Amino acid sequence: MEEYSSGDDVNLFFYINTVIKSSIVSLLKFCIEGVIGGTDYNQNKINQWTASIVEHSLTHLVKLGRPFKYIVNCSVMQKSGAGLHTANSCYWDTTTDGSCTVRWENRTMYCVVSVFAVAM
Amino acid sequence: MADLVRDKREKQEKKVDKMPADGTRDKEKHYNSVIFYVLTFKCLGIHNVRSIFVFVRVCVQTGPSKPFPVTDVLKILKEEIDNKLQGEKYEAQRSRELTLTLCEVIKNRVKQLQIPRYRIVVKVHIGQIIGQGIQTRSGFLWDPSTDTFASHSFKNDSLFCCATVFAVYFE
Repeated sequence: MEEYSSGDDVNLFFYINTVIKSSIVSLLKFCIEGVIGGTDYNQNKINQWTASIVEHSLTHLVKLGRPFKYIVNCSVMQKSGAGLHTANSCYWDTTTDGSCTVRWENRTMYCVVSVFAVAM
Repeated sequence: MADLVRDKREKQEKKVDKMPADGTRDKEKHYNSVIFYVLTFKCLGIHNVRSIFVFVRVCVQTGPSKPFPVTDVLKILKEEIDNKLQGEKYEAQRSRELTLTLCEVIKNRVKQLQIPRYRIVVKVHIGQIIGQGIQTRSGFLWDPSTDTFASHSFKNDSLFCCATVFAVYFE
């Protein structure tokens, strides 16, 4: 992560990795809570839940009004002691593009949402 | 006042007369969009010339020169995943390493295809199968005419793997 030295203009890299990231994290948590907060895992509704989370996330990301293309990936898994590993690798411009991941859980399920933002 | 107006009209008429009789214009001046005006080229040894005009033509690429080869990327995904995970059993540490390795290997192979102006994002999930439910969904806000993805999944008795490659065009 680049350091910010006083007197310089805030560069885009710093902006993405702190200001935007913190707003995106809180935005995603808000979307997840709004859809599956307070519910238990339900096989019949899981399709609808993931669709809502992705749709709400994208809508709120658009409202930020930044010149980015977004990819939102949402995984919801039932809590049963099984293991899950997720990895991502990106080939892009690290000064203008970025990603963030939010993990959320309740009593019966895990939810992992990743957002990749690629500059236009 | 009347003199001023007459002078102005005469000047405008003179400008029009400067154009050649057949009406053709200087094509270079017409097509070039930016003109740079540079003073004092002493360092280049040009002492007598006070100014040099440089004409620059600006070109803009409006779309990808080469479309993203989805079928080639699918082939890469199938080869890598099926070769690496065939006969594997789920183990926490091993699966963790496999996820990271697969991710890097797939990214490097897609990079070798050398598709210009495309940004690549590779996502790999490996999970254990013990009867639990899981759903993964992706949504995009991009230009569907240039941006695309390729996805492949694999399953055996003890583990499943889902890998996706997203390609986003940089305008």
